[in-house]
Amino acid sequence: MINQSWYVYSAILLLAATSVICRTGYVLFGHLLPLPDRLQRALRYAPLAALTGIIVPELLPWHPEVGPQVDLRLLAAVIATALFCWTRNSFLLIASGMVVLWTVRWVFPS
Amino acid sequence: MNAALSDRIALRALRRRAFINGARTISPGLVALAIWGIVTGVAMVKSGLSVTAAAIMSLLVYAGSAQLTAIPLLVVGAPLWLIFGAGIIVNLRFVIFGAALQPYFKHMPWPKRLFLGFMNVDIVFVTFMGRFGSAPQKGNTEQLWFFIGATIPCWLMWQLTSLIGITLSASVPESWSLEFAAVLALMALMLPLLKTRPAVISVVAAGVTAWLTQPWPLRIGLVAATVVGIAAGMWAESQIAKNAQPGSTAS
Repeated sequence: MINQSWYVYSAILLLAATSVICRTGYVLFGHLLPLPDRLQRALRYAPLAALTGIIVPELLPWHPEVGPQVDLRLLAAVIATALFCWTRNSFLLIASGMVVLWTVRWVFPS
Repeated sequence: MNAALSDRIALRALRRRAFINGARTISPGLVALAIWGIVTGVAMVKSGLSVTAAAIMSLLVYAGSAQLTAIPLLVVGAPLWLIFGAGIIVNLRFVIFGAALQPYFKHMPWPKRLFLGFMNVDIVFVTFMGRFGSAPQKGNTEQLWFFIGATIPCWLMWQLTSLIGITLSASVPESWSLEFAAVLALMALMLPLLKTRPAVISVVAAGVTAWLTQPWPLRIGLVAATVVGIAAGMWAESQIAKNAQPGSTAS
């Protein structure tokens, strides 16, 4: 249990500050340092790259001591991706991925 | 007089249509947000935050990855400067996102820019740029209200599901693997953006970087993957442009 409430609430306020600083900094003061066109085009790749950066470590985890770990989540993700490419349906992607994971775990309990 | 009135009615209809369009386009992402909200709510209380502190954190910080990063630091009693620094690093991507959003909001007064900037979360940015990233005119009414229509459901969904997670933290079994549904939902946002060859190259480069940099602490690997992905996309774009140019050295 985390007891010192001044410590917890100071941390919460500081974290709120990081959200405000990072999210609003450029929107508030960006006119002082305008973006060149080339940089704007570059930023179109930012969301794609950042999402990939979040997803890849989740699906293909590895640790320096243990090495790469392949688990059922990768299989579920591959099947869900194939279904999405076929149907272009986002909800089907999420649902099929979960169903594959649960089914395979149910058939082959570890 | 009549013309002014009909103009106002038309403007209101345009706003409403853009708002609804934004809300509808973001809806698959709301699944991701809902799952992350519940996971974050559960994690905050299970690691020892009081229900009040967890609820205040969700309301004020409104950033799941920063909250989830801070929790283990809080548990070990890490110094406040380190928690602040970790929050900045995890939120660095929003600086890049903010720079991309700035042209759309630059004509507005600062309190509105403050509000719109703070309401920007990952899925809103991805959805918004996917829709208006290559729009020739930046900063029109449709774009503003599409953005608002995307952010409001996100904020409501995040707060609601965080509270649900905080309340139910004791009774969500880990065997449901809810966090994996969040990953699938992020994939549902990413895959439709893979429309061009530079985009595919950008994703491959970002993916390899993210995979290699996994042991790095505090999710710095995410920043590296973002930077490398952008660079690769730009490089591929310039290569294709060079090859398309008549009379260029490339055959």
